[in-house]
Amino acid sequence: MRRFLDVLYSAAGGVAALSILAICLLVSAQVGLNILARIGGPALSFTIPSYADFAGFALAAASFLAMAYTLRAGAHIRVNLLVSRLPERGQWIAEILSLALGAGIIGYATWFSVLLLAESWHYGDTSPGMIPVPLWIPQLSMVVGLGLLTVALVDTLIQSIRNRAPVVIDFGSE
Amino acid sequence: ETWDMPTPYGDATFHTQNIRTFAEDVAAATDGALAITVHSANSLFPHAEIKNAVRSRQVPIGEFFLSRLSNDDLAYGLDSQPFVATSYDDAARLWEAQKPVVTELLAKEGLMPLFSVPWPAQGLYTNGEIKAVDDLAGLRFRAYNAALEEFAALAKAAPVQVEAADIPQAFSTGQVEAMITSPSTGANSKAWDFVTHYTAIDAWVPKNIVVVNQRVFDGLDPAVQEAVLTAAAAAETRGWEMSKAEAAEKTKVMEENGITIVQPSEELVAGLQAIGEAMLEKWNETASDEAKAILEAYNN
Amino acid sequence: MAELSDPVIFGILLTLLIALLAAGVWVALSLMIMAFVAIVAFSNAPAGLVLATTLWGHSHSWPLAALPLFILMGEILLRSRLSEDMFSGLAPWLTRLPGRLLHVNVLGCAIFAAVSGSSAATAATIGRMSVPELKERGYPESLILGTLAGSATLGFLIPPSIILIVYGVATEQSIARLFIAGILPGAMLVALFGGYVMVRAWMAPDSIPKEDDTMSLREKIVASRRLLPVMLLIIGVIGTIYTGVASPTDAAAVGVVLATVLAIMTGSFGRKEFVEALMSATRTSCMIALILFGAGFLAIAMGFTGIPRNLAAWIGTFDLSPNALLAVLTVFFVLLGCFLDGISVVVLTTSIILPIVQAVGIDPLWFGIFLVLVVEMSQITPPVGFNLFVIQGLTGQDILRVARAALPFFLLLMLGLLLITVFPGIVTMLPNAMGN
Ligand code: NA
Ligand code: NA
Repeated sequence: MRRFLDVLYSAAGGVAALSILAICLLVSAQVGLNILARIGGPALSFTIPSYADFAGFALAAASFLAMAYTLRAGAHIRVNLLVSRLPERGQWIAEILSLALGAGIIGYATWFSVLLLAESWHYGDTSPGMIPVPLWIPQLSMVVGLGLLTVALVDTLIQSIRNRAPVVIDFGSE
Repeated sequence: ETWDMPTPYGDATFHTQNIRTFAEDVAAATDGALAITVHSANSLFPHAEIKNAVRSRQVPIGEFFLSRLSNDDLAYGLDSQPFVATSYDDAARLWEAQKPVVTELLAKEGLMPLFSVPWPAQGLYTNGEIKAVDDLAGLRFRAYNAALEEFAALAKAAPVQVEAADIPQAFSTGQVEAMITSPSTGANSKAWDFVTHYTAIDAWVPKNIVVVNQRVFDGLDPAVQEAVLTAAAAAETRGWEMSKAEAAEKTKVMEENGITIVQPSEELVAGLQAIGEAMLEKWNETASDEAKAILEAYNN
Repeated sequence: MAELSDPVIFGILLTLLIALLAAGVWVALSLMIMAFVAIVAFSNAPAGLVLATTLWGHSHSWPLAALPLFILMGEILLRSRLSEDMFSGLAPWLTRLPGRLLHVNVLGCAIFAAVSGSSAATAATIGRMSVPELKERGYPESLILGTLAGSATLGFLIPPSIILIVYGVATEQSIARLFIAGILPGAMLVALFGGYVMVRAWMAPDSIPKEDDTMSLREKIVASRRLLPVMLLIIGVIGTIYTGVASPTDAAAVGVVLATVLAIMTGSFGRKEFVEALMSATRTSCMIALILFGAGFLAIAMGFTGIPRNLAAWIGTFDLSPNALLAVLTVFFVLLGCFLDGISVVVLTTSIILPIVQAVGIDPLWFGIFLVLVVEMSQITPPVGFNLFVIQGLTGQDILRVARAALPFFLLLMLGLLLITVFPGIVTMLPNAMGN
């Protein structure tokens, strides 16, 4: 189970990274086409339809899918200056509280993002750009990403409770 | 009761000013029983989310640009189809034909249109005069939707996607050399900083629409409902007059600031009309029956 | 609970936020929880649906797409020899200047601000390269962090600028003029920051490490060869914007491609380094995105509760003189900026503030720049300051410590505010010269 979850978080992180790469390639391709049009004149002028929309959707995927992976890597920001001065038991209680509150609000967000997707699906909402994209498709990344973050928060909470001491290590902290 | 009302445009826009007057009218007519708080300039929800926020009753009422929905049904977008309705009279007739269809489409999402107000007719911004369609050939032309891209292609111009906020920079760096937009947008973005000529081709007269959630509306006291509908009807009439005044005033502002205002030559008009017809032919291939019915009603 | 007054509600919410942050709840989640409480307790809006709409609505914006790309560019530069080369090339020229290589932070941010529209991207890109180099050379940490946090705020003032676009669109001011208006105040801040570094170095000369000072002019020029790749990168990115083949957002992608090519050409950068850079950029941009979502939800919650709007209207009731009004607004914005991000501060209050400001005869163009300076200050004040978050992400130093290092720069921004108020020409001179 531990291994399965870790692979799951990393895999989603990998897809997020690929999404960033996709934004980069898409935009570079358009800049390349702009340069071609500048050299070759209007006859050689092409645009990638809705490229700004697609870059935006890839950004959403990158942001949401990386959330659990980023949490487990300790890269989400928090103020640890005060907590770190508490005795270990105090730190542990604060961590459990943080994880429980976090799981609560993100679980809540996940549930309502499912409702939002269901509504987009029900009404057949599409993006307004040159290429109409059914909105539920990019919104899927939101549901999956938030769902994974909920899982990761609960997972870490269970780890922390079992461990009877704090388990979250922030990236770069000394 | 208090209603939060998200709108996409800033306080200096006549649409927003009209809506603020509408809110005051409602408050006055209902003795404060219904107060509408206007959240302008996307300060509550981004433009793209306003319609759905009203649909799911996050807010009871909201405003958006009607032809944003053309991907859902082409019926929404006829007011942004180049050279279909090019004057306020045409636009009023088009809205008359469009209204029942749009009302029915929106009803499927639990929404009810209250009123719709046009932007001034869209003109052509360029550096140098455009005497005929041929003069557009080779120009980098701002296109932000499928219709404009097609328009650019038919005019043999090169379509470039530029977001509204990037327009001044795009002109000053030569990323674009021509665009079509209203005199309001031209004057407000101080177009004289980056173009020399405005040709009043009146390409189309797009509209904003204000919608209310049907269930929320039905829950109102009948007297309050009546007050809202009365204020809405007044807002529509007032908004169209404001739009006409705006068109004249903003064109004058541009002229005063050194932009050459050009009435299009007959040759240019004929060329643009031909492009419009070609586009409409293609439009007919994909339009829904409802959308075609609007065009039919409008043409007869 | 409608009987509670707005300042009391504001106080309750702020206390809640501080308690959550102090308990170690992640910043983004603290913002979301605070916003949730605000909506449920003090408005009639359905919190869950609004939360989902905000998350979606803020996640796919096109101008934001540049952020991960600029971060990725910084990560690539860090892992190649390019950042080291830049420092070796600059070092010989800065040895005589008090503060030496600390000026790389100030000037690097100023140059990069001409490419990027946001402060966070500027902090992430320059900080990625400069922090490890400066640390290794033994510069005092508080000055490394402070110069970076402070100078990165130039991202908003020197065009292009996301915040000026937001202000220009909301108030229908010419964005072109706002951009031009930001140039001189930007230069003024560069001078203030650079001057401050020199004063600090002059006061405690031993704190600044010695750089090799024996080179002849010829040797210095030879050493500058190493600046060439970085110069090519900057010219390439700025060049694509100003020749019009790329928008400012597009330019970020050009930056990534050029940085990758140059990194490979200068050696020691391969697939392994690229994957590391990409994964690190993924984490950092996800961290920033989640906080932006939290801040966005809080902004909507504030919109529904009407607190910023009511406070702004309340200020309007005092009929203050222009200078008194500006002083009160500065305090108001600094307070709001402590827990809202700058863009939200602007959109939530301009509708009320701008008419008040115009009524006393203040030029809205000038006010836009005034607002940007205040927003820049909010970037480096805790608990919610995006430059602080980015720098914590880069260095692992807690945001409170970073905020302390940034405090002098907060005061310098305040001084900048005073200067443009006393000499409004700093703002209006260039746009007026554009003429009609
Ligand atoms: Na900038
Ligand atoms: Na702050």
